[in-house]
Amino acid sequence: MKLRSVSYLSKEGVKNLWANRLMTVASVGVLMACMVLIGLAVLISMNVNKAVGNLEQQNVIMAYFNDKNSVLYGDASEEFNSSQDASSTTSSSADSTDTTISEDDYLIHNEEEALALCDKLSKIDNVLSVEYVPSEEGLESIKEGLLEGKEEYFEFLDKDHGNPLSDAAKITLKDMSKFKETLQAIKDTEGVDSVQSQSDLADKINALKDGIGIAGVWIIAILLIISLVIVSNTIRVTMYSRKLEISIMKAVGATNSFIRLPFVIEGVTIGIISAATSTAILYFCYRVAMEAIGDALGIINIIAFKEVALLIVGIFLAIGVLSGIVGSVIMISKYLKKEGSEFTAI
Amino acid sequence: MNATTKPIIEFRGVSKTYKTGTHALKDVNIRINPGEFVFVVGASGAGKSTFMKLIVREEKANTGSLIVNGFDLMKIRNRSIPHLRRTMGIVFQDFRLIPTMSVFENVAFAMHVIGADRRKIRKDVSAVLSMVGLGNKARSMPNQLSGGEQQRVGLARALVNKPSLIIADEPTGNVDPNLSYDIVAKLTEINKQGTTVLMVTHDHNLVRDFQHRVIMLEEGRIVADNAAGGGNI
Ligand SMILES: Nc1ncnc2c1ncn2[C@@H]1O[C@H](COP(=O)(O)OP(=O)(O)OP(=O)(O)O)[C@@H](O)[C@H]1O
Ligand SMILES: [Mg+2]
Repeated sequence: MKLRSVSYLSKEGVKNLWANRLMTVASVGVLMACMVLIGLAVLISMNVNKAVGNLEQQNVIMAYFNDKNSVLYGDASEEFNSSQDASSTTSSSADSTDTTISEDDYLIHNEEEALALCDKLSKIDNVLSVEYVPSEEGLESIKEGLLEGKEEYFEFLDKDHGNPLSDAAKITLKDMSKFKETLQAIKDTEGVDSVQSQSDLADKINALKDGIGIAGVWIIAILLIISLVIVSNTIRVTMYSRKLEISIMKAVGATNSFIRLPFVIEGVTIGIISAATSTAILYFCYRVAMEAIGDALGIINIIAFKEVALLIVGIFLAIGVLSGIVGSVIMISKYLKKEGSEFTAI
Repeated sequence: MNATTKPIIEFRGVSKTYKTGTHALKDVNIRINPGEFVFVVGASGAGKSTFMKLIVREEKANTGSLIVNGFDLMKIRNRSIPHLRRTMGIVFQDFRLIPTMSVFENVAFAMHVIGADRRKIRKDVSAVLSMVGLGNKARSMPNQLSGGEQQRVGLARALVNKPSLIIADEPTGNVDPNLSYDIVAKLTEINKQGTTVLMVTHDHNLVRDFQHRVIMLEEGRIVADNAAGGGNI
């Protein structure tokens, strides 16, 4: 197709827009509403994903090592509660040459071995980070975290009386959806005695992510269909209002692609106008929302519009141009099939 | 008539039955040679418009063979129909001028939509407008013209792409009788320059005064075919 014809037919398409300005405004309005909603869906899901990502990093697995303490206290936790013989246990813990426990009964004897095990854990699939937590540090963090201001209750757990905690590794994961498999792999690692985790939190995070993903896809699919229907309908109205022109075009031997072009231009222009206005509207809505949320929650760090502007504009243009092209092509083909040949009798 | 001339239109055993079951044309056989002027006459419902619609391939014949301008209309692909139509100029009974376009733009439209270039459009449109006697009305809008003038714009539009065949179904149907004369005189002038003209009319005066070949249809059959000057088949 020659360029000069394209420019002539493009002008015709823009003229169509003006001739049917009420329809144009209405369809731009509906398309814009769809786009803004899609944009909001994208922004919300991105923000939730980011927030969830932060949560995920806080969802750690503690792997306790099979060391001397684990043999002394680990399996015996129930005994420990029921046994009244506290003095014998505390005294034996301080004694490294205890006769009832030999070095063969546990696997991690020193820091070197513990670090080697950490290294081994970090090589497990889906493990993001491994941090070695010696038993003393573990005890400190428990004291700090849980028992703030009540340290005196735990004074019996000092150096002299012994520390019942084992050495441990603090492990974070890359992908929460593979939580169970990874947890099992950690458990099965030689040298790991037991693991502690909040698997219900992982499940909740995964369910939330899946839910948002599915809802997002549905919302976008439905809105896309609405956009397509709106654009097609506008084109259909223009087409019938341009019956005369179409009949003349057919009579003088214009090809279907020539006849189609003004309508495609019209549809695409509607799409582009909608994309531009939607971006502006979304930008202002998002800024207002961000300020409100920022004021209310303070610390939460929300994705800046700048970071996603290109993506949003891309999505909007894609929706606009695609629904413009597909909508007009579908409509004009239908029209040409049904009425296309009836140019001597309109 | 020269038997070796290749006809521009050739019907052989053509029948057309509409979906409704109406037999609009029955076993039509006719040859029209390049350069002829043919009146198609007959009572209302005789099948004149159907005859024309088969030629422009708005409708497809059910049986027989139909060749127009070298195109086999029984076998033509949809994609080629625009090319068939570019060999003919169609004049409408209701003029079909676009009311929002000037006379010039209406004629130019027919060139734009088949991809002609701007300079050629300006030149050819001006030429064809002066040929139909509307050189001074190029900027007028259709509603500022009389019926006869409007039809001359329609004629200019049909001619501007230099077709070898003009198809006109009752082009004078909406025009005053004295202005009808004007239109047919113009068509005759164009015909003298070599363009084949096929025109449906109900107007006996026109048929009598312009001595052209006359084909008469009756209930879907050709019942008379009088060569120019009134001679029989
Ligand atoms: N699209 C159609 N569908 C069904 N029947 C049709 C159609 N077009 C025409 N007919 C019928 O075919 C027959 C011939 O119609 P046609 O229009 O060819 O007649 P005509 O000679 O042009 O008449 P008029 O002088 O009134 O224009 C008529 O009986 C008409 O009702
Ligand atoms: Mg008719």
